[in-house]
Amino acid sequence: MVSLLSGCSSVPELENNVEAPRVKLSLAYEKIAVTNQYADPWEGFNRRMYYFNAKADQYLLLPVVAGYKAITPDLVEKAVSNFFKNLGEFAVFINALLQGKANVAVETFGRFVVNTTLGVFGVFDVATTIGLDEQNEDFGQTLGVWGVASGPYLVLPLLGPSSLRDATGAGIDMFALQTVIDELGVSGEEEILLSFLRSIDTRANLPFRYYASGSAFEYERLKVLYMKYREIQIAR
Amino acid sequence: MRFLTICAVLLLTACSANDQAEVEVNVDTCDLEYTRYQATVTGYCQEAQAILPLEIPTIEKTIVLRSISSIPEVFWYSTKMKYSLVKQAEQAPLVFIIAGTGASYNSEKMISLQKTLFQQGYHVISLSSPTYSNFIINLDSSTDFPGVLEQDAKNLYRIMQKVYQQVITENNVVATTFSLTGYSLGGAHSAYVAKLDESEQTFNFEKVVLINPPVSLYNSVNILDSYLDLKENGPDAAATMLDDIFRGFANSYAEQESSSFSQSAIYALFEDAQLSEAQLKLLIGASFRMSSTDMLFALDVSYNVGGIIYKNHVIDKFESITHSMYRASVITFKDYFEKVLVPWQQESEVNLTREELIARLGLKNIESYLRNTTKISLVTNADDIILAEGEVKYLQDVFGARAKIFPRGGHCGNIDRVSFVAYMHSQFQGVDE
Repeated sequence: MVSLLSGCSSVPELENNVEAPRVKLSLAYEKIAVTNQYADPWEGFNRRMYYFNAKADQYLLLPVVAGYKAITPDLVEKAVSNFFKNLGEFAVFINALLQGKANVAVETFGRFVVNTTLGVFGVFDVATTIGLDEQNEDFGQTLGVWGVASGPYLVLPLLGPSSLRDATGAGIDMFALQTVIDELGVSGEEEILLSFLRSIDTRANLPFRYYASGSAFEYERLKVLYMKYREIQIAR
Repeated sequence: MRFLTICAVLLLTACSANDQAEVEVNVDTCDLEYTRYQATVTGYCQEAQAILPLEIPTIEKTIVLRSISSIPEVFWYSTKMKYSLVKQAEQAPLVFIIAGTGASYNSEKMISLQKTLFQQGYHVISLSSPTYSNFIINLDSSTDFPGVLEQDAKNLYRIMQKVYQQVITENNVVATTFSLTGYSLGGAHSAYVAKLDESEQTFNFEKVVLINPPVSLYNSVNILDSYLDLKENGPDAAATMLDDIFRGFANSYAEQESSSFSQSAIYALFEDAQLSEAQLKLLIGASFRMSSTDMLFALDVSYNVGGIIYKNHVIDKFESITHSMYRASVITFKDYFEKVLVPWQQESEVNLTREELIARLGLKNIESYLRNTTKISLVTNADDIILAEGEVKYLQDVFGARAKIFPRGGHCGNIDRVSFVAYMHSQFQGVDE
């Protein structure tokens, strides 16, 4: 895996008649590049994955999402979304406990109870309307709170921006969700359908579009925003 | 100007898969302490938001201006010029909108203007700024560096004609009359395009409104450059301040009840973070520098200049171009002017002086036209940050009764606010008498 990650090069292969850029690089200025305070040892792999994700989005995910949105009434979309969010409360709850955030855990537990009962298995988000706010915790954040550094930036297939730490965390969260699904006694085709629907729902709720900024440096800027965003979340 | 915050906010919401993009209609005002810089960064949120349609029937369009194979590989996602059309059901007047520095046809301010004008019954065609990467990369003339307004206007005018032909054939648009507007640099472009139209007479614009234009591009970019001064204070000072800003946001986010990033939550973040004037200026300067970095890269790649890229080298789509970003991030617009625009223009006009070129990058060069052309109106704010001392007075003098100068709003901060939209509606009446 590691050799795959570091195997792809992103260093330019220069032709013979090439002239070096006239504006010289000065290390001091890298600090300001608003843009870059995070090492990217796997850049070659990451850039390829970024490109792959953009293509997957264009030819697979977004058309599927568009089809889904076209055939599903908004109300149903919202219900599906709420349903998966409610399932996700389980991971939020556990992670809040692991981080020692009692109030977040209590609030999340309250949300889960209210939405599962009054909200009919999570289809309606009653909790938010009565003032139980949605929280956002995952195992990547838990690791961060425990003092684990982010590790290198990592672009995951389909899922996009992540880091070594957060990718590990996401794996564990997925495992936890799987446990819940197994507990519910869902398996076989139903399970596949469920995870398919969940993927569509997740993508449908992300306003992000690859290369929509038009900037040649979108890759760099997204990296910084992702890393900063995670720092902010972990500080919370 | 708001690119940085918007970008941050968009991506913050985008990153958290659990947050549904919430449509909040009535989040309008904030309790931030007003300054011209704050209004430029967060918008003039002390004033109520105008009521605009939530959704408009926007058609994303592309036009091929040069052969796709001639587009450099590193811009593989940008092989056609992008623009948008918002179409009325029936025949209607048509308005073109030109975006500001470094902005695309679908920037947040553009969308606000689209809604404002669509609401008045116009077909709306939106074009990116000639300083936007997608525009630069797709330009069909061989070596035009953006910023020289007269040249930019020729390019825009030609593209407007082609685009209009395209929407006739592809979308059956029937336009009764034509109008034009643009904000910031797009405002200055509008003035030059309007002048060109007087002789070319393709559109015979009925109404032209310049929104927060620079009077002198040279003055304006010097002001913005000065907000991110890496040469005088060194990069450390700016880097430290950016870190402070981020820490402020992180702390106040930690205090928030909810983990979501709604519009009101974002105002709350700014309220808590209590950014100083220097910090707000830095955000504006950094966002401006990001735009100029993008522009320089697109130009360098298009014309093989070799300033921030390896000359004669074909950049592969997986190649790291971070080094170019570093190189560009220290280049100010003034550097661009002195080292690129002046020598380039002097190649075709040997006797052209620096001062003469500065004069061309602004409205003064066409002052007599602007004084006497009743179809052109101007709207700006008395505290617009891009205007140097005396320039508000100058605009007032040139446009006289055709100038509307709001006391507050910074640079384009009020573009979606009640009184600005009401003004636009008074200018663009739409329906034929």
